[in-house]
Amino acid sequence: MAEYFGTTVEDIFRTQDSRFRPEGAEGVDVVVAYNISGAGGGRWKLTVKDGASKTEKLKDDDFGGFTAKMSADAETFVGVAVGQLDGAAMFTSGKLKGEGDMSVLMKLPMMFTKYMPPKKGITAADILATAVERFRPDMAGDLDITVGYKLSGEGGGEWTAVIKDGKCALEEGLRDGLTVTNIASASDYVDLMLGKLDPLVAIGAGRLQLKGDMETAQKLPKLFSKFIPPEASSGPELIVLKKTISVDMKYSTGRMMGKFLKGLKEKKILANKCPECGRRQVPPREICAACVCRAEEFVEVGPEGVITMIEYVYYASPDPLTGETRETPYGVAIILLDGCEGNETMWHLLKSDELDSFKRGDRIRPVWAEERTGNLFDIKYFEKVR
Amino acid sequence: MAANKKNRNVAIIGIGQTQYSSHREDVNQPEMINEAVKLALQDANLTKDDIDCFMHGNMELFEMVHQPDLWHVLGTGAYGCSEFRLTTGGTTGITLVCAADNLVASGMYDIVLAVGFEKLQEGHTTGGITNMADPLWGRMLQTGALTGTCAADVINEFGEDRARRAAMKHRIIMDQHASRNPNSHRSFGLEMDQLEDLMENSPRLVGDLRLIHMCSQSDGACALIFACEKKAKELSDKPVWIRDHVTTHREETLWMYPLDLSQKEEPTHRKAPRELFERNGIDKPVEYFDVFEMYDPSSWWGMDWIREFFLLEGDEHIRMVENEDIRIEGKMPICPSGGVVSANPIGATAMVRVAEAALQIRGDAGGHQVPGDVNHALASGFGGTLWTILVMLEKELDWE
Repeated sequence: MAEYFGTTVEDIFRTQDSRFRPEGAEGVDVVVAYNISGAGGGRWKLTVKDGASKTEKLKDDDFGGFTAKMSADAETFVGVAVGQLDGAAMFTSGKLKGEGDMSVLMKLPMMFTKYMPPKKGITAADILATAVERFRPDMAGDLDITVGYKLSGEGGGEWTAVIKDGKCALEEGLRDGLTVTNIASASDYVDLMLGKLDPLVAIGAGRLQLKGDMETAQKLPKLFSKFIPPEASSGPELIVLKKTISVDMKYSTGRMMGKFLKGLKEKKILANKCPECGRRQVPPREICAACVCRAEEFVEVGPEGVITMIEYVYYASPDPLTGETRETPYGVAIILLDGCEGNETMWHLLKSDELDSFKRGDRIRPVWAEERTGNLFDIKYFEKVR
Repeated sequence: MAANKKNRNVAIIGIGQTQYSSHREDVNQPEMINEAVKLALQDANLTKDDIDCFMHGNMELFEMVHQPDLWHVLGTGAYGCSEFRLTTGGTTGITLVCAADNLVASGMYDIVLAVGFEKLQEGHTTGGITNMADPLWGRMLQTGALTGTCAADVINEFGEDRARRAAMKHRIIMDQHASRNPNSHRSFGLEMDQLEDLMENSPRLVGDLRLIHMCSQSDGACALIFACEKKAKELSDKPVWIRDHVTTHREETLWMYPLDLSQKEEPTHRKAPRELFERNGIDKPVEYFDVFEMYDPSSWWGMDWIREFFLLEGDEHIRMVENEDIRIEGKMPICPSGGVVSANPIGATAMVRVAEAALQIRGDAGGHQVPGDVNHALASGFGGTLWTILVMLEKELDWE
């Protein structure tokens, strides 16, 4: 299997579900397709739903439906996953590509802990040395058994785990009359314990032989918690303090904006008019910036108008009012309301489920909120005049 | 507009920049600032005791520290000395330059050190920028600094294919410039044969603004040292003179589209050069200047604004990009540093434009030095909500 930065694509997907963080995926219901090209690549599908994740390798080209899709070559994918390549830079330069709802891809780092490549050079002895601390007395009950490990090749050796009275001890050498004996090469044993080699495959291929009491042998995996390899470390730990600042704010609206917002409550859009040049300003500004004089006269404009520009927003930016990521795409329109002319435009949102049908020059009208509080969103959005 | 009323001349005599990067967890804010300050002092062969006044600038909304100058005092070196703090959004760095120029020209201080910085990875850039808009209206609608209006304008005027190609060509040239600037944050190694692939496949952000077009979010700091004419001549053998600068802002043009230029509203990137060149008697800036370090927040803006900043007409600016005149070795080199699309530590970014333009005049830009004499340099700054600042730098004190 092709390795990049000492890791294979398989390593990352195989461990993905064990790295799932339900707290980072509350209310998430998505399917993510991964198309990884090049040596060691393939197609995977991730389903996150009801606080659980399922990662599966696909045998054919058909992803079926997906919410978002990520494509990359194997080296880029692994490099980003292990933190050796900057994900944002790879995305920007086009080496990592996204399709569909991009906000899903941006949420992935919240849903999974980062893949940590295991420390290089882990030996069978390293793993067995942790057997005593990984032993689970609650699962062993009153078992009284001896388990032998006969591991051949480089890093091999012979060990016996003695399990009795809810305790486990490890001895070098093989005792006589073992309940179960594991026979494998040391490197296959390490791969089995790191999850790189499937036990059923290993048994089927004769690479792992179990001798003795098979009923006990089947219990063995439950008697020990999973071996978690120490993380590969690169330099000293840099302590970074994480903080979230959340503050309730309130802003006085002032004389001009206050009057405008009161108008919205009454389903009226008010502009103020410059006494010198006649220019209307929506929303009203105290001073006409062109004439530098006070503009006190209010006139009602709209509520219908014409789209002069649509901004289709694909970037899932946070809503500054809630901190939540906005749903994309959405449309922001520059609007010339009836009664306004030239540059007297304003901006607001377009109805998102009709987004594809809007075009420049369309006549639109505001959709008013049922409960209006004197706020920009007393107009929910603009929709087409039919 | 009053101009050229300087009490005395001012020169840049020290330049320091950190490496720009996507993450600097290895240093805290004052330590990172100190890297740039130390380099600027070394460059000017001065110590902190030679500085009469310090200036500090960033956008506090990004790191959410509201008196950062107090925490940073050991990094800036301002303890026991005068210090001012400025924050004007994207223009912060170049506003520091204008203010330092004014402080020294006024006679108040002989030598001023200004440092601009940002550690964008410590906060949330788009959130910070969005919260800069007025809270009654704009904040609810704005998407940080992202907008597709400029792309729409250019496409409208020059057609989809020509406009998209030119913007991407601009982007690739900037990437190739960045590859020659060791301080640059990003250089992807883009080649011209990727142009069509990027045009199609780079993820869209807003309208025709794609991810590859947009500036980065960087960590880094830049420091400059300013001196009055007398001190500059004593202390430096390569002073770079600040001839003039102009600051314009007009927020309402943000939501005016398409902007009818026959009306009263004038975009700031048009007003600033018109005023500056008029009062300095420069008819053909594209001939006058030897290099232009532009604050290009995206390749669309970077390409489009060439026209306004150089008082060009029609498609002259597009042709400059198509003919690759904007390359370091081209007829009118623009952003030899790689520009803002290649490194953007926001509070430093606009100062980096001046720093890089000054390095070009000194002939000290190394691998991205413009060939031949650089006597006249232009630097611009841009920020929300639609501020434009221009600074003119000169090699010789010979203008009237």
